[in-house]
Amino acid sequence: VLARHAEDLYWTGRYLERAEDTARMLDVTYHGLLEGGGRDPQAAWRALLEALHLAQPYFAQHRTVTPAAVAEFLVADESQPSSIIAAIARARDNGRNVREHLSTELWEALNTCHLELRGKDLRAELAFQPHELYRAIRTRCQTIAGAGSETMPRRDPWRFLVLGRLVERAEMTCRMLRARANGAAARTAFHDWLLVLNSVSALEAYTRSNGAEIDPGRVIAFLLLSDEFPRSVLSCLRGADTLLGQLDRDGPHARPRRGLGRVRSELEYHDADELRGHGIQPVLDRTQAGIWEVAELIEARYFAAGPAPQRHVFGAL
Amino acid sequence: MSASRLPDYHLAQGFDEAITGNCEVRAHYEAVFEELRRLAPEELAARERLRDALFRRLGITFAVYGDASGAERTWPMDVVPRILPAAEWRPVERGLEQRVRALNLFLEDLYVGERAALRDGVIPSWLVLSSEGFVREAVGIHAPHGARCVVAGIDLVRDADGVFRVLEDNLRTPSGISYVLQNRAALTRSFPGLSARHRIRPVHQYGSSLLQALQSLAPRASSSSPRVIVLTPGIWNSAYFEHAFLAQQMGAELCEGRDLVVEDQAVFMRTTRGLEKVDVIYRRVDDEYVDPALFRGDSVLGVPGLVSALRAGNVALANALGCGVADDKAIYPYVPALIRYYLGEDAILPNVTTYLLWEREQREAALKRLHELVVKPVAASGGYGIVIGPQAKPEQLDLCRKEIEANPRGYIAQELVQLSSHPTYVDGKLESRHIDLRPFVLTGAHTEVFPGGLTRVALRRGSFVVNSSQGGGSKDTWVLDDDGDP
Repeated sequence: VLARHAEDLYWTGRYLERAEDTARMLDVTYHGLLEGGGRDPQAAWRALLEALHLAQPYFAQHRTVTPAAVAEFLVADESQPSSIIAAIARARDNGRNVREHLSTELWEALNTCHLELRGKDLRAELAFQPHELYRAIRTRCQTIAGAGSETMPRRDPWRFLVLGRLVERAEMTCRMLRARANGAAARTAFHDWLLVLNSVSALEAYTRSNGAEIDPGRVIAFLLLSDEFPRSVLSCLRGADTLLGQLDRDGPHARPRRGLGRVRSELEYHDADELRGHGIQPVLDRTQAGIWEVAELIEARYFAAGPAPQRHVFGAL
Repeated sequence: MSASRLPDYHLAQGFDEAITGNCEVRAHYEAVFEELRRLAPEELAARERLRDALFRRLGITFAVYGDASGAERTWPMDVVPRILPAAEWRPVERGLEQRVRALNLFLEDLYVGERAALRDGVIPSWLVLSSEGFVREAVGIHAPHGARCVVAGIDLVRDADGVFRVLEDNLRTPSGISYVLQNRAALTRSFPGLSARHRIRPVHQYGSSLLQALQSLAPRASSSSPRVIVLTPGIWNSAYFEHAFLAQQMGAELCEGRDLVVEDQAVFMRTTRGLEKVDVIYRRVDDEYVDPALFRGDSVLGVPGLVSALRAGNVALANALGCGVADDKAIYPYVPALIRYYLGEDAILPNVTTYLLWEREQREAALKRLHELVVKPVAASGGYGIVIGPQAKPEQLDLCRKEIEANPRGYIAQELVQLSSHPTYVDGKLESRHIDLRPFVLTGAHTEVFPGGLTRVALRRGSFVVNSSQGGGSKDTWVLDDDGDP
């Protein structure tokens, strides 16, 4: 696959995952607050912005944190490249650049998602039925992923698309864990961690393997390390590792794979005690830094071959 | 069975494809109009909405140049198909094949042959060598099988007597084939009842025919499955959708100039696994942008060094450089003579009567009748710069006369052809609208005419302008497998 196309495919995957994860986080933050638990709404919305690394651009536009303003900023603000509407538009623009690599069913699903969002009065929907909107976005993104998974041949274009999705997902899950581990007050810990599980659809899976007790250490271990749950950081990294192995004839010696191997092995050979209490923060910091490094190595190895690499801007890291 | 009629349908001047001069529906259109007559207005509107939704979902829209908002319009396709029975299509098919074969022989003669047609006075040398489409750098570059114009789009009109005539040849980077395929898909999906009673020749094999033609051009040294790519100017080109569509249909990479590099007189593309050799380039970039090292140094669309790789025979280019000389409108009047010269046959498809303005007698005769004629600049395409005598203001005609006198090589004058018309839905009612036809002809190891082509519709009443860039519509075009009795 052309280096330029690989880059567009990879970023299509990242933008779609970004949009879906943002919708998930908004949904659980909003409804988590409504369902009670004594949390401070201001702090919850601020934590969401910080998890997404978007507090700075948000406060450049707004002086106070209000649920409506945050939701609008994250969903409908086209000037903000990480907003859902902008991320989907960029995924679609990138997809259009590589239209011939996408199966028609995947392209139709992507184009339909974009057109449907454009056709909505997002502000009205956020005011009237936010859950329905978030659910629609999530469902559309899953339709796109499903159409791809069922119709795309397992060749390099597909691999770059999925690689982008997995890198983004690992990063988002990690961001969420960091944000939560940072500010968890004991009083609201139960609800906070319930929300984290919910936001990645992990509550059911967690309960099945850990029982109904929401223990912070176990939640973190589950979301970082579970090999059963497809959205855990380690699952994403293993998937990305397999793809990189297929994408690169240099096998494990290629730099992105070596970088990935380092993050992976740190998680795979973790010290169980570290994941409890104060030890967790450095583990999460190192994991996140490792994922960023892998993303940079991927860019350098596969995309920089083109003479005019495109800049894809995401909220300040 | 006696023929039926269309109520409230006003015949336009000229030939109507579907309706006879006695206002009766032609036999091969009976089944379609029977279906349409049963249709309630609400159902028609619903099916038209379904059609638009299909095009939108597939992202088949086109940008309009000069529209500052950058808005995209949905591709306009009328739901009434244009139908060509097998017996009507057969001579058209033979005529197109003959014409493109002769044009390729002419190009081959001109660029690598002894220029026999020029030497023997079939066509004036000065006229050919002064054409803007003549590319000096292409002289001596060989084309496998003599296939220079690999994809040709020949614009046909049907005159008042129902005779198909060639209006112009498009031999450089003709577009429109993707719409032929999408029109068929959209009509059969939004209106399955219409086509159910006919045996229609399929069009979906185009991608595989094109790939076959292109692969037949590969340099001999290349592997058993040569690598074909599509070269596009990029996403901002108005035909980008088509470039992507064809790349997908062929399973080929869609490259821009910046993705390609020439090393050791061979072309490579930059992939995630390093440089990979390219054997055949189907380019949708104009001649003057192909190789900035030779033509336009300021252009980033092309590939520096490409012409040296062509010359070394390490890569093939389709269409070859310099095909534009043969679709110069000043060369057009000589095509019937070229057919006779190269093939020893009479042209099956006649031209539109054309006046050579660089010949004094014809110029003087034409200048007296400018108000009845159509004047076209020889180098423009897409309907730009045309003056239609009967519709022009006296000042326009005066200006036109002065321009012809100053630069007689720059224009031709033609008799105005009364384009045929076709029933077309306008606001839910069938009205007569003028149409033309652009069939596509592929040449690789041999020449193959694709059934049907793109029928374009002038959506304004009485207008002859069918170009989509100027508000034209389109129709699905059926070539029947039989002669139309369902």
